[in-house]
Amino acid sequence: MSRPTVAFVYEASLAQWRLSPDHPFKPERLALLEDLLREGGILEADEIVPPAPLADGELAAVHTAEYIAMVERVSRGERPDEALAYGLGTADTPVADGLHDDVADVCAATATAVQLVVDGAVQRAASFSGGLHHAMPDRASGFCIYDDLAVGIHRATRAGLRVAYLDVDAHHGDGVQRSFYDSDQVMTISVHESGRYLFPGSGHTHEVGSGAGRGWSVNLPLEPFTEDDSYLEAFDTLVPRALEAFAPDLLVVQAGADPHRADPLAHLALSLTGLRAVYDRVVELAEHHTAGRLVLTGGGGYAAYDVVPRAWAQAWSSLSGRPVPDPLPDAWRRRWHERLKVEMPAGALDEADVRPQPQRSRIESHNRAVARRALRVLEMIWAERHAEAEPSDERTTTSKEATS
Amino acid sequence: MLVRDIMTRPVVAIGPEEPIADVIALMLQRRLRHFPVVADGELVGIVSDRDLRSVGSDHPAAKPGVAARDPVRTLMTTPVWTAHPSDPVDEVAALLRRARIGAMPVVDDDELVGIVTASDVLGALVAMTGVDAGTTRLEVEVPARQGVLADLLRRIADEGAEVASVLAHRDGDDVIRYVLRLASIDIRAIASNLDANGFEVIWPPLESSESTSS
Repeated sequence: MSRPTVAFVYEASLAQWRLSPDHPFKPERLALLEDLLREGGILEADEIVPPAPLADGELAAVHTAEYIAMVERVSRGERPDEALAYGLGTADTPVADGLHDDVADVCAATATAVQLVVDGAVQRAASFSGGLHHAMPDRASGFCIYDDLAVGIHRATRAGLRVAYLDVDAHHGDGVQRSFYDSDQVMTISVHESGRYLFPGSGHTHEVGSGAGRGWSVNLPLEPFTEDDSYLEAFDTLVPRALEAFAPDLLVVQAGADPHRADPLAHLALSLTGLRAVYDRVVELAEHHTAGRLVLTGGGGYAAYDVVPRAWAQAWSSLSGRPVPDPLPDAWRRRWHERLKVEMPAGALDEADVRPQPQRSRIESHNRAVARRALRVLEMIWAERHAEAEPSDERTTTSKEATS
Repeated sequence: MLVRDIMTRPVVAIGPEEPIADVIALMLQRRLRHFPVVADGELVGIVSDRDLRSVGSDHPAAKPGVAARDPVRTLMTTPVWTAHPSDPVDEVAALLRRARIGAMPVVDDDELVGIVTASDVLGALVAMTGVDAGTTRLEVEVPARQGVLADLLRRIADEGAEVASVLAHRDGDDVIRYVLRLASIDIRAIASNLDANGFEVIWPPLESSESTSS
């Protein structure tokens, strides 16, 4: 097979907005990533695609008119008291002038990535500015104002595609799950640190979807301090089987980099090698289940300079098939060290973690049990759905439309 | 949270002369487990699925001499533990446990207005923990002293976070452990503030200084 065709949806402005001066969510990490990929020779100029603006109504397909109107008001500099009821103006989601346009651009970037893949212009597209999976239809939450993922997924479903959404951010992908909880056109799968310990608190295995969407919401909550092997074992138990049951046409992946052990906002303990193994699986799963059609976004990632550029460089490497140079380019390290005044990493991957992990075997066995239990329940629901969708011989003679 | 917020209504009540067999059929059809018995508008007894299922069997708990054709008054339990619509849910939970029963009819001015079951109560208690409400867990331990909860909540408010729920339990005589759910994704500033002011932060893990650089 020839080289996979890839697109990197990006323009400089996507790295230049911020929620507040010291906010832990730092779009600036995109600039470090793009520079690392260019300097490392694994991103071609003609692969960089600027986002095309959204069409009218695309945001409104995901968010309520009242909420969008409120975001627009605070973006114009108004500060009404009612904004708080929409989650705007909190410590997590402070408001700033221009917020609406900044985040609408993020949605446009992810929608553009989806469009490129849906049109067959490329096989795989990345929108690393995207991944705002906590935004609710009527409320900002967890650093997220608008849900670019839901906007992008709607692009694909409107084109008639069935979409599997896989969220490997350390936090549960609650906003996206909410948007498609009743849908039989979209499966959401989230692998995350258990809500018992981490925001947003949801993502239990019993959240399986409802109505037409029953069985098409999949949740795998993992223990704090889960390491590479246990993560991948649980992932392999559940995710491939879920995709097989749903039979999607497109895979959309939210690749938050915060499962990494150095992330200050979550407590999973993956290494860059472990994250790379996840990205490689994602590409394989797309090859196997969606004819290669894959859209990958960013998401969380709060070790913004040390970990995030390296993690997403590995993701881009999985997509493009080109290795990340190791050690990382000197020019890149020097440039960002000067600009940010922080120590930049030298190696493409982590040094070995020698810290003791006394709870390892308890964590492994807990995760194993959770993955198996989740699969057992889902298999029953999928079997019921399957039986309903494919009636027995006697029934097909009386009901033709049931088989079409 | 009060009984009126969580009780089931309207309630399916039966008359005392109703044959037991009919009540069993009703139980299976409606998938209910507790039936208040009402005579002349007044609550006179209650039958549970366990009473009904043991009728005519050799089960040691079966009431001797009662058959399926007999009226339900021969089987019902009386008097009945009842709840009032404005009883707090936590009191009802304690009473259900102490009396070892699964449900209580809710009576207001001698009128049967609903029924509250152990399952209703459990659901209310789960909601009270704040799980599922877009929240982060914060768990701290602190020596018991007057005003300590106020101090804890003030420190959280000062950092701009909203408290979704507070649970407290004593760890021995001198120490209280609080489990809170906060409506915020980033509670690092709160955790270090508490750590610096005499609270032992059990969750989240406090970050080492090296990981704060980025």
